[in-house]
Amino acid sequence: MSDGLNGSKILIVEDEESLAIGLEYNLTEEGYIIKRAADGRQAMEMFSCEKFDLIILDIMLPFYNGFEVADFIRDKDPQIPILMLTARGRATDRVHGLEAGADDYLTKPFHLEELLLRVRGMLKRKAWYKDITAKRSTATFGGNSIDFHALVAQTPTRSFKLTLQEAMVLRYLVENKGRVVSRKELLENVWKINTEIETRTVDNFIVRLRKYFEPNPSKPVYIKSVRSAGYIFDDEIE
Amino acid sequence: MKMKRKSTIFHPLFIFIISQLAWLSLLGLWIYWFVSNYIIFNQVGNRLAPQMVPKATNIFALVLGVCLLLFLLLGMYLIFSFLNRQRQITQLYDNFIANITHELKSPLASIQLYLETLNTREVPLQRRQEFLNLMLQDANRLQNLINNILQISGLQKKINVYHFSIYNADALISQIIKETEQKFKLSAGKVRITGAANKSIVADVNALKMVFDNLVDNALKYSMNEHPITVHLAAHVQNVVVEIIDRGIGIELNDQKKIFQKFQRVYYSYSPNVKGTGLGLYLAKEIVKYHGGKISVYSRGKNTGTTFRVEFPVYHAKKKGYIQYLLKLTQKNKEAESEEFEDE
Repeated sequence: MSDGLNGSKILIVEDEESLAIGLEYNLTEEGYIIKRAADGRQAMEMFSCEKFDLIILDIMLPFYNGFEVADFIRDKDPQIPILMLTARGRATDRVHGLEAGADDYLTKPFHLEELLLRVRGMLKRKAWYKDITAKRSTATFGGNSIDFHALVAQTPTRSFKLTLQEAMVLRYLVENKGRVVSRKELLENVWKINTEIETRTVDNFIVRLRKYFEPNPSKPVYIKSVRSAGYIFDDEIE
Repeated sequence: MKMKRKSTIFHPLFIFIISQLAWLSLLGLWIYWFVSNYIIFNQVGNRLAPQMVPKATNIFALVLGVCLLLFLLLGMYLIFSFLNRQRQITQLYDNFIANITHELKSPLASIQLYLETLNTREVPLQRRQEFLNLMLQDANRLQNLINNILQISGLQKKINVYHFSIYNADALISQIIKETEQKFKLSAGKVRITGAANKSIVADVNALKMVFDNLVDNALKYSMNEHPITVHLAAHVQNVVVEIIDRGIGIELNDQKKIFQKFQRVYYSYSPNVKGTGLGLYLAKEIVKYHGGKISVYSRGKNTGTTFRVEFPVYHAKKKGYIQYLLKLTQKNKEAESEEFEDE
């Protein structure tokens, strides 16, 4: 790898030993440094005393499940990318996982190449985000203001932390103000994935952003949908 | 939140109570109306035409009315409990489908990962061997799961064909446990066999393998510690007793009956394992029952370990008729099979 991601530290949280060994082997071969946790408790302990660049997280885990672990991690570090890897493929699980703060979701069984691409995409996004926040780091619209550097959002009613992925989606929309941005474009430029994966992941993030910043999320005024085209950001309300 | 409120209002128990209250109040109102009218009718009737007013109340109508009422109440209660049971089964079944999906997908994901790894990378020989072994383990797990499902489906339709023979319990159980150890690739000394049961029992080897595979697998899954699992054999006059004893997380008293029911799984926050289908112990119970034996569980609760006790009737000492029937059935099956073979 020549993109500076070599040596990134990844924590694999997986209680299926054989799968964990296979993942560890492949990711080590890609140049990453891997640590393994076999249950939710161990994952939280390891996360508390070590710094990681990415977490690969199973959902059905002993002691604390993946959603609880994701909550715990998000509380401590909103920036760290989390990839949920699980056999539970129902739409509700996916939404629940993304709501708990996961940035991406992959169902078992998966293709090795796709997993490696996603991991790389997530790590790249993290690096890229650091670069661009150095240039411009705030945005304001309506009564909302967002500090992209600190990942803190201030709305008329409250102040809270955004996850890296949320901040990146919002940032992309704000920077392309007044132009329709397609789901595919968001996947390519924000998720850094060039595959035909489900665009529902994008929709889930838009729902979350609307919940945070729209006065009425079911009738959005800032992040509007354009039928069969994508989304458009506009901060000039008529 | 809205959804939650809606589901509370439409809960069958709530509907049942409300409907009972509604029709009982209606009945009360009718009785009140009837009695008050009856009094008026009596007073007016006495004054105008005393010969028309009946002297005694109609006991027959009263008793019949009360009986019909009770019958209605009972009927409604039965329908309610039947529907409620059906609802519980549907819920358990949904859980089962989610669990089984997980149990099928996890080993499959692992096998696929290793195949793609071997296909795309130059894996050193030693690691290659390790990966092949892991794949075999996963394939084994899939096979066990599928066998369990097929066995249960066969049990329900009563189409499983068993081959019963007479065995020395000591030799048979020791052999089965050894095979289980090999299958799960357990380190030496992880399972310890104690005691002796030098009596004859009638058994189907393959079916008993499934029973002990499931029981040993359970003991391993729910023990966090390194303590060995003990298989204790004992022979009484009428029964051969096999106990599988672990020092794991135990089973709370309230849950001990539940665990043998189909699809039923018990969740504890302190459990080191979250996997399973809720079929293993149900299957074990049904197979042991078919052998004329019984299975039970003992545990004093959290972190006190668990003992599963399996009893088989001693040949020629207990349930003679039933055991003879099993042997005859096997003979018949064998004859049918050889006839089929000859036909081919």
